[in-house]
Amino acid sequence: MIGVYREFEACMRLAGHVLRRLRVLALPPVAEVLTRQIYFTGASATAGIVLRGAFIGTFIIAYVIDVLEADSALAVKILFWVLLRHIAPLVAAVLVIQRSGTAVATELALMQVSGEVASLRRMRVDPRDYLVVPRVVGIALSTAALTFYVQVIAVGGGMLLSALTINASIGELSSEFFLLASPVDFVYSVIKSLLFGVAIAVICCYHGLHPPGGSINAVPKAAINAVTQSTLLVMLLNVVFAYLVFGQAFFGLVSAKV
Amino acid sequence: MSRGDPAAQSDTALRRAVDVKGVALGYEPPADDRGDVGIWIPAGGSHCVGGLSATQKAKLLAAVIEHRPERRAVGPQGGAMRSEKRAKLVLLGAELDKLGPAERAALRARVGFLPAHGGLLSNLNAWENIVLPLGFHYPKRLKDAAAQVHGLLTELRADPQALLPKLPERMSPYEKKLTGYVRILMEKPELLLVEDLRGGLDRAERAQVTEFPAAYLASCPGGTFVQLDGTPEV
Repeated sequence: MIGVYREFEACMRLAGHVLRRLRVLALPPVAEVLTRQIYFTGASATAGIVLRGAFIGTFIIAYVIDVLEADSALAVKILFWVLLRHIAPLVAAVLVIQRSGTAVATELALMQVSGEVASLRRMRVDPRDYLVVPRVVGIALSTAALTFYVQVIAVGGGMLLSALTINASIGELSSEFFLLASPVDFVYSVIKSLLFGVAIAVICCYHGLHPPGGSINAVPKAAINAVTQSTLLVMLLNVVFAYLVFGQAFFGLVSAKV
Repeated sequence: MSRGDPAAQSDTALRRAVDVKGVALGYEPPADDRGDVGIWIPAGGSHCVGGLSATQKAKLLAAVIEHRPERRAVGPQGGAMRSEKRAKLVLLGAELDKLGPAERAALRARVGFLPAHGGLLSNLNAWENIVLPLGFHYPKRLKDAAAQVHGLLTELRADPQALLPKLPERMSPYEKKLTGYVRILMEKPELLLVEDLRGGLDRAERAQVTEFPAAYLASCPGGTFVQLDGTPEV
């Protein structure tokens, strides 16, 4: 328990360092790392996201229509409340953990084990400035962008499928969708996905920079710790965030008493 | 260089009394440490410190490069730690113990260190490795960096076009050393410590690295080049 608390405290300190040192992003080597991170996490993952997003949207709608014999209003509500607010940010976060979280934790752990982090210190370069700040910012921005892609594609795909399978036009579905939507949902999605991105990146960077040992065996252990803890934290944040903003958690199973 | 015998200790005591202004690197182990060596190097020129064991080298480098002067706990009564004795370190005419953290950091910026393997980052090519510290500490100097790097590599008889795009995994030990060396020269340190300059090189490459001190002194007139050559620890 004390170990978990210490790791949490260290991650919070690392997050604090990132906030304090955002100005290093203006330095050319750090800006280069940021660009690479955004390209790797945000751009080159897009194709996979498009396929998964479209699949998830159509799957949920097909299932709901088949099982619940839903009409257009219910289909849109499901798309909006379940997919847009909860599933899309979670899917994007899980994809970021799978793809970038493991890569970051492994890369940093290898750099630590092989003495490259020590080399940075000898060059008077703070490893947190060069390795952590651009990765946290890059992954946070990319997670927000990927969440937006998933939302657009999953909701779009879901609406298209609904229009084909139930007796409703795309226009009708979209007007019902925009009746439900509000700026709060957009802000909620952006803030939540940024928070997910920061949490994933900080945990993965922390475990990468603190592998459990100095041998090569410590590298996969660091990656496993990073993936496990960041997945748990994302799930926890999702529940807490939903409860704080909408007074509901676990897709409405738990509601705040007003 | 002095060893931990009585004669050497009296020699060290004499040096303590001498003004440290003309000293580029002075390292004096704690008085009770008989196994360690003291080092006293005047400013300017090229010097070689030989015969250091891996442990001694690590202690010296930790003190100079990482600001971790060795702390030795002294506990004569049942292991109770009552006081600490520290190694004395003089860098570029200043005693490190008498400086605050900001002054130490400023002093450290004037010292360069080339590790035996070059100290390169494996995911950056030679060019990116060379300009990394420059981009961090002196971003304004980056615009002239390409010409300077080409000039230095040519002076050291390397082909910039062939070397600069290479990743460390494709470099020979000599190329790694050379890349690390050029990276340090770009920062123009007043004191340059080079670890095991000839280690891991063949005969032709050893002949080539003999030009390193001259290249440094031409690039940084008045600087001090210190070669730390170790012996394997038995």
